[in-house]
Amino acid sequence: MSETTRQDSVQQGNGKVQTSHHPETDPNRKDKHYYGIPPIKHAHWTWQVPVYFWIGGIGAGVQMFSTVAQILGHGDKDLQRVSRYTVLVTMVLSPILLIWDLGRPERFLNMMRVIKLRSPMSTQSWSLVAFGNLAGLIAARQAAEDGLLGTDNVLVRLTKLIPDRLLSLLALPVGLNVGSNTGNLISATSVPIWARNWVFMGPVFLTSGLSTALSWLSLYLRLTRSGRPETLHALHRAEKATILIEAGLIAASLFRMSRWAKPLFSKTVAPLFVGGTLIGGIAAPFALLRGEEDRRKSILASVLVLIGGLAFRFAMIRAGRISADDPEAYFTFTSGENAPQPEDKV
Amino acid sequence: MATGFLTDTTVCIGCKACEVACKQWNQLPADGYEFTGDSYDNTKQLSGTTWRHVAFIENPKKRRLTGDVDLVALAEDVTEPLPGGAELDALGRWAFMSDVCKHCVAAPCQQACPTGSIIRNEFDNVYIQPDICNGCGYCVPACPYGVITQVPNDGRAFKCTLCYDRQIDGLEPACAKACPTNSIQFGDVEDLKVIAEQRVQELQDKGYTQAYVWGTPEVGGTGGIDGNHSKFILMDEPEVYNLPRHPFLPQEKFRGGVIASAVAATVLGAVVALAFRD
Ligand code: SF4
Ligand code: SF4
Repeated sequence: MSETTRQDSVQQGNGKVQTSHHPETDPNRKDKHYYGIPPIKHAHWTWQVPVYFWIGGIGAGVQMFSTVAQILGHGDKDLQRVSRYTVLVTMVLSPILLIWDLGRPERFLNMMRVIKLRSPMSTQSWSLVAFGNLAGLIAARQAAEDGLLGTDNVLVRLTKLIPDRLLSLLALPVGLNVGSNTGNLISATSVPIWARNWVFMGPVFLTSGLSTALSWLSLYLRLTRSGRPETLHALHRAEKATILIEAGLIAASLFRMSRWAKPLFSKTVAPLFVGGTLIGGIAAPFALLRGEEDRRKSILASVLVLIGGLAFRFAMIRAGRISADDPEAYFTFTSGENAPQPEDKV
Repeated sequence: MATGFLTDTTVCIGCKACEVACKQWNQLPADGYEFTGDSYDNTKQLSGTTWRHVAFIENPKKRRLTGDVDLVALAEDVTEPLPGGAELDALGRWAFMSDVCKHCVAAPCQQACPTGSIIRNEFDNVYIQPDICNGCGYCVPACPYGVITQVPNDGRAFKCTLCYDRQIDGLEPACAKACPTNSIQFGDVEDLKVIAEQRVQELQDKGYTQAYVWGTPEVGGTGGIDGNHSKFILMDEPEVYNLPRHPFLPQEKFRGGVIASAVAATVLGAVVALAFRD
């Protein structure tokens, strides 16, 4: 405290010396809470969780794009190959990241003790298991077709019995759940910024997952100069539309979060959210994708969308931590109609 | 039978015997030497290693303490006008409150737990089975009262067990046993409810009209949680004790989120399909 401010505080109130801490004269004591100590606790989640949200979202989005292509009878072998291997890789990495983040990683199998439809973490674990296994089977069939398992041995013949197209259809809803559940998982907590946005959290994570997935596919196909022109064209159009939907959902989320959205614009999160997500991950790539399709612009846009998606996940998790640590946010949230009430059950 | 606590903050003297008894009986590690400088309370909050926490609330209310204060007169509760025109209406009030897990009727932590580690035991208390918890930490942000934390080095989540082991042996929980003023009472929730109501009535009759029971569905609001088995008699707004006014069940909205996501998935699927059209 500098000498002048000390003087000021000593001389508050009729210029008389203060005898004790007093809520009437000490601005720090005006708020209705307990010494600013957070009334709820934030999640311990470290970098593995936002990275998983990002990777899982890509897996879900790739599954969506490739399955829709399959349903429409769009037989692009390059697209099919990269999609199947991508989903496999994301589904191998996701559980690794999640188990890494556990306090007792060796007990990860306890997640499989029960199925609890009320617990997003439980449904998430089960969806990952299902999606991972389906992705494994589908990718095995792909590997057999690509000759990666050798030629004409028993293994290849067995693997070729896998009904890959049927399994892809089955994997679609499971994958979509992996993609959106990440959002629903964080909104089913007591953290104001997350809980408040329960309507849009799942959709925004799913949409952002799809946009990163489309960017990944387009980036890969353009870099390797593979894929049919129709595929690239469809990717280009879908990317533009998805970015727009994502922007709309983020705007809706901000509107919904209202005053509790503040942490997203705080000093530590704003660079990620405003710089990384809104400008770098949405506005800039959209500008690049507008107009004529151009290979180099498209590659740059894809890279930006991928980075923006990762920044978005980190921003959301960090903002949640700030929100949970802020007594003012929690108490304003739980002191009125703002808090979800039992009677407005869905 | 459901057992629970009734914590009557009006008789708490802030001795922290409950905190110590809990640490000792449950062999909880120390929280380290932290000096908040804010109050005499250096425990600060409940956590995985502090299952009872006594809050020290300096509550001078609207009282002004100005001018030449005669501290002796003050201590002796002198009410006549003070020399020098000093205004005074006593020093205000210290409030103490021994906080603990609320043992929610519809417990958010239990609903969140993916391993089924958090259960209701035969005493209808919310109990974390330490041999099952894998430290996913999801119960931590789910609890509307900031009770649970994941303990560093151990990795698992812990909170008040309502002394499950003692209850099995027919003993009351260590905190209730140690409390010298009976601020912490243990028993059947139905009985405690009656005791709480009687006590609040008694306080009201004495003129303390601000007294109320917090933690029942009717009073204090527990949106979707259906009340708490740990009840409190409070003399001020819940926030003063670092408690939420209308806690809510976070899982209540999960189904709505899933439906919204399904709608979004359908729209996105249609958008992708349209992108394939020439
Ligand atoms: S107060 Fe928190 S830890 Fe205790 S039962 Fe309720 S949700 Fe669980
Ligand atoms: S940390 Fe343990 S008790 Fe808490 S939700 Fe995870 S498994 Fe359950």
